[in-house]
Amino acid sequence: MDLNVLRSYIPLYNEALLLTLKTGLLGILTAFAIGLSGAAAIYFNVPVVKKVLGIYIELFRNTPLLVQLFFIYFALPKLGLRISAETCGILGLGLIGGAYMIETMRSGLFSIDRVQSESALSLGMTDRQVFFHIILPQAFSVSMPGIMANVIFLLKETSVFSTISLMDLMFTAKDLIGMYAKTIECLFLLVIYYLIMLLPVSILGSIIERRVRYAEFGD
Amino acid sequence: MQSLGIDVLFKGTNAIRLLKGLWVSVEISIISVAISIVLGLVIGVLMTSKNRIMRFVLRAYLEVVRIMPQMVLLFIVYFGTTRVFGINISAELSAIIVFVFWGTAEMGDLVRGSIKSIPRIQYDSAYALGLNKFQVHFFIIFPQTIRRLIPLSINLVTRMIKTTSLVMMIGIVEVLKVAQQIIEANRKASPNAAFGVFVVVFLLYFLVCWPISRFAVKLEKRWT
Amino acid sequence: MKKNLLTKLGTILVSTTIIGASLAGCGSAKADNAETAISEEDTATADAAKEQEAGDAEEAQESAEEAGDGEEAQDTDAVYRTLDEIKESGTINIGVFSDKSPFGYVDENGEYAGYDVYFAEKIGEDLGVDINYVSTEAANRIEYLQTGKVDIILANFTVTEERAQEVDFALPYMNVALGVVSPSDNVVESLDSVGADDQIIVISGTTAETYLEKNYPDIKLQKYDAYAEAKTAFENGNGVAWANDNTEVIAFSLENEGFTVGIPSLGDADTIAPAVTKGNESLLTWLNDEIETIGEDNFFHQDYEATLLDTYGADYENTLVVEGGKVQ
Repeated sequence: MDLNVLRSYIPLYNEALLLTLKTGLLGILTAFAIGLSGAAAIYFNVPVVKKVLGIYIELFRNTPLLVQLFFIYFALPKLGLRISAETCGILGLGLIGGAYMIETMRSGLFSIDRVQSESALSLGMTDRQVFFHIILPQAFSVSMPGIMANVIFLLKETSVFSTISLMDLMFTAKDLIGMYAKTIECLFLLVIYYLIMLLPVSILGSIIERRVRYAEFGD
Repeated sequence: MQSLGIDVLFKGTNAIRLLKGLWVSVEISIISVAISIVLGLVIGVLMTSKNRIMRFVLRAYLEVVRIMPQMVLLFIVYFGTTRVFGINISAELSAIIVFVFWGTAEMGDLVRGSIKSIPRIQYDSAYALGLNKFQVHFFIIFPQTIRRLIPLSINLVTRMIKTTSLVMMIGIVEVLKVAQQIIEANRKASPNAAFGVFVVVFLLYFLVCWPISRFAVKLEKRWT
Repeated sequence: MKKNLLTKLGTILVSTTIIGASLAGCGSAKADNAETAISEEDTATADAAKEQEAGDAEEAQESAEEAGDGEEAQDTDAVYRTLDEIKESGTINIGVFSDKSPFGYVDENGEYAGYDVYFAEKIGEDLGVDINYVSTEAANRIEYLQTGKVDIILANFTVTEERAQEVDFALPYMNVALGVVSPSDNVVESLDSVGADDQIIVISGTTAETYLEKNYPDIKLQKYDAYAEAKTAFENGNGVAWANDNTEVIAFSLENEGFTVGIPSLGDADTIAPAVTKGNESLLTWLNDEIETIGEDNFFHQDYEATLLDTYGADYENTLVVEGGKVQ
C-alpha cells in the first residue's frame, strides 16, 4: 500500500463521509417522523390512513432501495416530477426507513399492557395525555433496540446512493478506482471509513439495548 | 401506453430478458440462502459455546457483517481477492461468497437466539429422563429451534433477493442491468421507456418478495 | 455493560487488523511492480505508439525477472491468458459496454451490437473461438483487465498516458476528442461560461471526467456509473450539459431531438484502441497484426457503414474511422 496515495485520498473521503452523514441523518430523521406518525395512526386505528399505510409498508419493505431510488430519480421526471439527487436520496431513505420504523414502533406501542391506559384513563387523564405521557415513553424504550438496528441498516444503505450521482463513500472509492486504479488503497480507506462511521452507532446501540433491558426486567 | 414507455417491453424478447434477469437474482439468493442455512446452524451452535475465544471471534465476525455494507463486501471480494491472492473469481461466485458470508452470520445469530430462547427447564427435564447430551440436542432442542427459525430464515430470503439488486455493480447482468440496456437500446423510439421499465422492475421485485414475506408472517403466527 | 463495550472495542481492533493486514500483504506483493511502473513514468510520452513500446520493454524486463524466479512464480503472477491459452479454451472474454449505443449495446433480441461489438465478432471469427461478452462500466475497465476478468477490453477505450501505465493498448481503430452536448434552448458553448451552481454530467472513469477535474476544477460534476443512467439523467434535465467522448455526444444530439453539441471538440485529439492486460504480449501482437491485416480490406469502414451510418450519416466516416491502425 502506498501511504502517499492514502494521504492524498483522505480529504476526498472526508468530504464523502460528510455527505453520507448529512444525507443519512436527514433520511433517518424523515424515516423517524414517518415511523412515529404512522405507528400512532395505526395505534389509534385511523380508518383510511391505516389501509394506505398498510400498502405503503408492504410496497417499500418488499422492494430494494436501489430500485426505489431508480424509480424516484429516473422514472418520475418522465411525468414531470424532477428532484435533485440529494433530495431523492433523503426521500428514498426516508421512505424505506419509514416503512421499517412504523413496524418497529407499532410493535412497541402494542407491547404496552392495555391495563396501563385503562388505569390512566380512570385517573382522569385525557386520551392525549395517556398516549404522550404513559404509552409513548414506554413504547419508545421497548422499540429502541429495533430503532437502532434500523438506523444502522439505513446508514449502510446509503452505499447505493452512488447510482444516483451522490458522491458518498462508496462512489468516491469506485470513482477513484476508475480514474487511478489504486484499488487496494481505495478499498482499504472505504472499510476504515465505514468502521469510523458505524462502529460508534453500533456500540451506542448495544449500550441502549442494555439500558432498555434493565428498565424492563431490572438487573 | 406509448407515452409511458411500457410498450418497449413488448418489443423483441425484452420481456423475457427482463424475467431472465430477475431469475439471475433469485437464483443467486436461493443458492446463497441454502448454503447460509447449513453454515448458519453450525455457527449458531458455536455461538452458544462456552469457549470465550470462540465466542469472541464469532462476535467479531457478526459485527463486521453488521457494519459493512454488502456493496463494500462485493467490491472487496470481486476486485480485492484477485489483487491480494491472485485468484480470479467470477462475478456470480463473488456474489454468492458475499451473500453466504453475510447470510451465515445473520443465520448464526438467529440460531443462537432461538437456542437461547428455549427454557433451561427443558434441558434439565430431558437429562432427568436419562437422555444423553446428543439426544437432548438432537431430539429436544433442535426440532424446537428449527420451528422458530423457519419464519426468520424465510425473511432472510427476501432480504437477499432485495440485496441482489447490488450485484449489477460488479457486472452481473441481472434485472436492473437488463432494464438499463432496454432503456438505452430504445432511447430514440420510446424516450419515456425509463418510466415504464422501472415501474415494471419495481413491481417485479415486489411480486417476488411480497408472497414470500406474507408466507413468513403466516408461519410465524401459526407457530408461536 | 462494560464487558460488552470491551468486546466491541476488541472487535474493532481485530477486524481492522485483519482487513489491514490482508490489504497490506498484497501491497508488499505489488510493491516491486509499482517500482517498475514509476520508473516507466519518466519515459512515458503522449504518443500512443511510443507508449506501446515502453510498455513492451518494461514487460520484457519483467518477464526476464520472472524467468529468474523460476516457472512457478510466473504461473502465480500472470493474471492474464496468453493467445494459446485462449485458443485452447475455445472462448475469449471481451469486455464491452452493454448500454452505450451505437458503440456497444444490447438490442431488443438480447444480442450485443454496435461498432465495438462488430470488431469483437471479427476477432472471435479470426481467432476461431467463441466470444463471451462481459458487460462493463467505464470505471471498471482497467480493473477488469488487471484482475484478468476479461482478455480484451473493447469498450470505446480512449488511449491516455495514465491508462497506458496500467494496461497495454493495441493499435487504434477510432478517432476521438471530448465534446459537450446541452439542451438546444440553453446551449453551453464554452466551459468558462458554466455557472457556479450548474452541474455538468460526466460518467465515472471516462476521459471527460479526468479532463474536467484537471482543467476545470471549479466546475461541479455530476457523476454516474453507467451510460444509461447518465443519459436518462441528462434527458431529465438534472444537469446543464453532458461531457463525454465527442463521438458519443454527437450521436446523442443526432438521435435525440432538442439537444445541440455546443462544444464539438475539447482537449487533445485522442484515439480509441483495444486494450489487454499489461504484459500479455502474445495477444497484443496478434491484435496489432489483426488490425493491420483487416485494415487492408477496409474493415473498419465496413464496420462504420454497418453500425454507425444510421446515426452519423456518411459525413463523419473519414474523421471517425482509423483504418489499419494508422492515424491520418
